[in-house]
Amino acid sequence: MIPALGRFVEALRAEGVAVSPAELLDATRAAVAIDLGDRTKFRAALGATLAKSRRQRDVFHRIFDRFFATPRGEGRGTGAHRRGSAEEGGPQRPGTGGSASKKSRPREEEPPRREREARRRPHGAETRSGTPETTTRERIRTLIDEVRAARRVGRLRVVRLDRRGEDARGQELAHGGDLSKRDLARSMTTEEEREIARRVPKLVEDLRLRSGRRFRASRRGRLAARRLFRENLAHGGVPFVLPMQTSKPRRPRVVLLVDVSFSVARSAGFFLRMASEFLRIGRDARVVAFVDRPVDATVEVRRWLSRGGGAGSIASSCTPPPPARPRRRRRPGEGIAGVASTFADVLESLRGLNLDAPSDYGRALHGLLRSGLRPRGRDTVLVVLGDGRTNRLDPLPWALEEIARKVRALLWLVPEPEERWGTGDSALAAYLPFVDVAVEARDLEGLARGLAELVRRL
Amino acid sequence: MSPPHTLTPEGIESAFAERGFVCTGEVATTLYLAEVLGKPVLLEGPPGVGKTEIAKLSAELHEAQLVRLQCYEGLDEAKALYEWSYGKQMLYVQLLREKTAELLAPSADLRSALAALKAHGDEFFSRDFLLPRPLLLAITSEQPVVLLVDEVDRADEEFEAFLLEVLSDYQVSVPELGTIRARHRPRVVLTSNDTRDLSDALRRRCLYLYIDYPSLEDELRIVESRVPGVGKTLAERLVRFAQSLRKADLKKSPGIAEVVDWALALVAVGAETLSPSVLSRTLGALLKNREDVERVLAEPSRFRA
Repeated sequence: MIPALGRFVEALRAEGVAVSPAELLDATRAAVAIDLGDRTKFRAALGATLAKSRRQRDVFHRIFDRFFATPRGEGRGTGAHRRGSAEEGGPQRPGTGGSASKKSRPREEEPPRREREARRRPHGAETRSGTPETTTRERIRTLIDEVRAARRVGRLRVVRLDRRGEDARGQELAHGGDLSKRDLARSMTTEEEREIARRVPKLVEDLRLRSGRRFRASRRGRLAARRLFRENLAHGGVPFVLPMQTSKPRRPRVVLLVDVSFSVARSAGFFLRMASEFLRIGRDARVVAFVDRPVDATVEVRRWLSRGGGAGSIASSCTPPPPARPRRRRRPGEGIAGVASTFADVLESLRGLNLDAPSDYGRALHGLLRSGLRPRGRDTVLVVLGDGRTNRLDPLPWALEEIARKVRALLWLVPEPEERWGTGDSALAAYLPFVDVAVEARDLEGLARGLAELVRRL
Repeated sequence: MSPPHTLTPEGIESAFAERGFVCTGEVATTLYLAEVLGKPVLLEGPPGVGKTEIAKLSAELHEAQLVRLQCYEGLDEAKALYEWSYGKQMLYVQLLREKTAELLAPSADLRSALAALKAHGDEFFSRDFLLPRPLLLAITSEQPVVLLVDEVDRADEEFEAFLLEVLSDYQVSVPELGTIRARHRPRVVLTSNDTRDLSDALRRRCLYLYIDYPSLEDELRIVESRVPGVGKTLAERLVRFAQSLRKADLKKSPGIAEVVDWALALVAVGAETLSPSVLSRTLGALLKNREDVERVLAEPSRFRA
């Protein structure tokens, strides 16, 4: 039992739950004190001793389901202890909206293929055997293979970060404290957020230098004079090669759909900061924030950025912003500050956005599709920033498919290591078939890579 | 020694049920583990889900005295641990003035007078002049005690650190009296409404339990057990209504206590359905914000299940 508990605790730590040795000891004592045959009590005992906050509790339930799986075919019988599991009669949190139950979801007639894809998503990961470390890697490889073999063969491109040298828990050992490689999903203080924000101007500058070309290489178009000389130098100036160039197509409209739930808000803030250097938010780019429903955040984000959070005044982030209000619960984004407000303030000012609701991608995408916020026109590029963790609610992948059909390109920035994509309650497997580029945007550098993908299309 | 029925999760569950509290297996197991492991319990969750009630019933089950420390911004050691009764000290000094004069009469100079005073100075800082506050009461009690530290998230971080020290060793230091150790290790229940993050150190020392709003079935059981006069149909309707309100973005979602109050109000006015006129008369028992009430009354059918 103790080695199994140790492995379970390792899996929790890998997901960012800092379990101390004393807590492991408590968990062992608790496991001894209760009837191990009763899974509900076992879950309650480990939960009380190992998960010490609401966020940790969500992670705990996810890992518990995966780790202490019931045999195939048996009922899991744990739903009463998992929040939001409406279909199992579990209690629900406020703000989950009327669509917590799958039955009440707005649905369209779905062809059988979509249903198969929805069922194929690895929400049933708990029935698999093996350690989480091996199964997640295998699963993500299988997922990408499946996606490539599907209708849109070869469409999905995955941009990975090279993070060799990290230890098994994903801790940042190899990069010697490089803040641009610091995992943004892990807990950090406001001061650490400010430190990371100071890295933004350098990354933006690098990106700007890379995206300076106004023309793109082409078979037709006009002669590219500079390249003509450069490429024919080897021939003594005799023009054997005639490089042509054409102007880039019209600047596309961009819709930034950002998950601003607790675990992703920090990445969203940094991404908007950087993206504002390349986009005119409010003119050719709109920002839609969501937790369980989409909310137009364009005006608020533009105001925040114009106050000094972004374009033209990025250096202002080096000046110490006003201290965080002490009585409020600390939220990610308080260190991503302009002169007058922080990203956390922006989120709190958004009307209709319930920051405490559980993430519901299906509802958010459906809402986007049915509202006036939806991306329209083939010249639109949709960028989604989110981990796809939809609390086991129906992901409604057909909604994303419909959106994807209407846009020029769909980029998805995933603020998680690739190993975790599609694990637990992540519905990425259902969404990736409709995505053109998926970027491992777990840190500042990853976000910059995702932004580079967007800038290439501008 | 605890009564035997509290020594199993099932026993706790049934004992709570006898007292009209619908207790899930998770709550019962956590309370049982707190007893077995001797650790404090941190209950977190939205207001009105019964966190404080759990502590009260826990005291009742263990036949222990409930000592409650209500936390608030600015709470300090003096208000939580002990104070010297300055009024009593001053009164005693006044009453004993003549005796003091007699005591000091033989002293020829200031130094000898001070030495004479010093020999009796500690008399005014003895336990007779100590006003114990909840923490000291819990520690020094001769009887078993359940210490309820309510809404600990309202207190300042400095107080949280101090609490941590008390909960670690169950002893406090009073400079004039020395270290006071607990005679019985008190059972400690901390509650938090999750309005701010508590420190990891405090969380680590506690068993953690997040209590959410109950499911429809559980809430129905609660209403039926607390409001015997309510009919089954009405109970189901009002619970569904309350649950749909919690899913809406109201300023203050109704807790279980408000739902029970509302059920009592509906029974008192003899309501059988949730008609607009009944709602307008009784909704004040359920919702405690004017904008919320106006919003619901404007569109009651949206929330009616």
